[in-house]
Amino acid sequence: MDLVFFKIALVLYLGSSVGYLIFVVLSSGNRAPVGLWLAIGGFVSHALSILHRAIFSGFFPLATSFDVLSLFSWLIVGLFLLMQYRIASPIFGAMAVPIASVLMLYGSTLSYQIREPLVPVLKSWWLPIHVSFAVVGNCIFALMAIGGLMYILQERLIKTKRIGRFHKLLPSLETLDTMNRHGLPFGFFLLTVGIISGALWAGSVWGFYWSWDPKETWSLITWFAYAAMVHQRLVLGWRGKRAAVLAIAGFCLVMFTFLGVSALVGGHHSFEDPRRFLRPIGT
Amino acid sequence: MTMEILVIGLNHNTAPVEIREKLSFPGELDGKAARLLTQIPGVEEAIVFSTCNRAEVLVSTVEPEAITDRIVSTIGEIHSVDPSGFRDFLYYKKGADGVAHVFRVASSLDSMVLGEAQVLGQVKEGYKKAAKANATGPVLNRLMHRAFFTAKRVRTETGIGTAAVSMAYVAVELARKILGQLSNKSVLLIGAGEMAELAARHLSAQIDRPVVVLNRTYETACALARELCGDAVPMEQMEDSLVAADVVITSTASCEPLIKKGSLKTVMRRRRFRPIFFIDIAIPRDVEPEVNDIDGVYLYNIDDLQAVADENLGERKQEALRAEKIVAEEVAKFMQWTRSLHAAPTIVALREKLEEIRRGELQRLNGKLSALDADQRESVELITRSIINKIAHDPIMFLKNTGSSSKRSVYLATAQRMFNLNGAPLESSEEKEGPDQE
Repeated sequence: MDLVFFKIALVLYLGSSVGYLIFVVLSSGNRAPVGLWLAIGGFVSHALSILHRAIFSGFFPLATSFDVLSLFSWLIVGLFLLMQYRIASPIFGAMAVPIASVLMLYGSTLSYQIREPLVPVLKSWWLPIHVSFAVVGNCIFALMAIGGLMYILQERLIKTKRIGRFHKLLPSLETLDTMNRHGLPFGFFLLTVGIISGALWAGSVWGFYWSWDPKETWSLITWFAYAAMVHQRLVLGWRGKRAAVLAIAGFCLVMFTFLGVSALVGGHHSFEDPRRFLRPIGT
Repeated sequence: MTMEILVIGLNHNTAPVEIREKLSFPGELDGKAARLLTQIPGVEEAIVFSTCNRAEVLVSTVEPEAITDRIVSTIGEIHSVDPSGFRDFLYYKKGADGVAHVFRVASSLDSMVLGEAQVLGQVKEGYKKAAKANATGPVLNRLMHRAFFTAKRVRTETGIGTAAVSMAYVAVELARKILGQLSNKSVLLIGAGEMAELAARHLSAQIDRPVVVLNRTYETACALARELCGDAVPMEQMEDSLVAADVVITSTASCEPLIKKGSLKTVMRRRRFRPIFFIDIAIPRDVEPEVNDIDGVYLYNIDDLQAVADENLGERKQEALRAEKIVAEEVAKFMQWTRSLHAAPTIVALREKLEEIRRGELQRLNGKLSALDADQRESVELITRSIINKIAHDPIMFLKNTGSSSKRSVYLATAQRMFNLNGAPLESSEEKEGPDQE
């Protein structure tokens, strides 16, 4: 019973991914894909799942990697549905839903048991602030990366003069670059707030703001990468393909920081070993 | 004695333009021509279609073979042309072929430019005029509404009208894919060729800002700028103009490329890498092909545009195959309806409907009737049966006797609609018959 909504959402997303795949392969342009409706159904069920987890844990459902991943993929689907509505191009759903499905599949392999009692460190208002800023920021970066991927594809098709069905399915270069232009400062702002709020939280519980924990280090590296991107875009006028490539590279870094570090390196962001919360590295 | 659809006409495939010109039914005469055709004995209804690529007469009749010659000579009379001059170019299609032809014309499957959108409007126009002149009846009304319905299905269910097949439209579509919204972009025209002017006109229709015209002789530039409601700029300001423009159309007679990779790189830096779209119509080329390698520069020459247009046309042909399937389905439905348009099946259907009502009512009252004994129940059966027979008698006799009347199809269609004999509930407004519901 635990994850019934999550499972329903996952099944609907997988169905939607298949629907979108069929749509992309056999696109007839004006046939509304089943994918969209399945994705909307999955999105609603996913929202219920998050609500259910919140009630179950009695607090913001962000205490395990599973929950954070779940929130992350929910936000990705939501953002893409919004984009699809704004730009009226089904290609957004076709990109986002499979990604969300993969993230959720990965998430479902993680333990979702909340250790009772909840570690006191996590019973703090800093938890929702820190995690939601970080996660929403990551979502924006994901959006930019996928926009960048589409940009590179579309640019390639136009430059090599292959004006076929796929070209028509993809949005215009201008639209995709606008996504990057708007997403970059916004995502960068959220990342900054995420890092600062994390430092403040650490300061309030442990007495020091920064401990060069692996996740902190990698977050800082990510922050510098995006700071450089903002600089290139605003000062040097980089746009189009270069901005797209940077968005993709930046997002790889984000994903490593988000998922890779806890899994491979550890540190006090590692949710698997609760003792680490009590005694951060370096003390 | 079955009602048949007969199409006689010629189009761009069967007749040269001189013949088509001679037989085009001028607009103001259309209704009259259809009216005139219905006065031929044996012709029940008639519609005339006339576009720049086709002239067609569509009639419903019970004896297509007998009246074909009369129709051909009437066409000759209307245009004061001897029929022998065009007889060989005509095609004759009757029955299911005729129906399929009408559906294909309305769906733009028979057009010179496959999938073009105007033909449906022209067909509607021809139908309206004929209907206004009272030249249409139940068969052609139904046929035309099914034709419009088929055309709509083809348009929504296939991509036949989506891909641009003219070079100018390909250029506009590409500009949209590169630059997004075109309304606030600017077009620069270098050189003053006819093709370039045409492309500039197509583009400037989407754009609010004036076209900038650049030419070696400033006077020519001014003249062209006036024509396009744009601004003229002397050749010396080319670099500045390139910095300001979003779409550049080149068509000078220069032997050397005007725009080279090296100089364009500087321009791109000055543009802060805003994308720019070059359309090179000149031969020899005005823009170095290597320019396409610069980030944010998109170069298409006239051959590239033509290749895209050709590919799109191929795509339309693919879609046309799917459209033909839709047409075939709709033709089958229509033919089924014409087959029902005989006295015998209509009478059978009427009888069945009444009997069904009778039986239904008896069943509904079964609770009360079960109190009666067998004899009494027998009487109820007899009474009810006799009532429906008496009611049905006059309409049935009427339908039987209309057999030879020229208005037979009208009566049969009316009877079917009155008693709702097609089994289905009354059709939706979209498919309703009658000339002015669209």
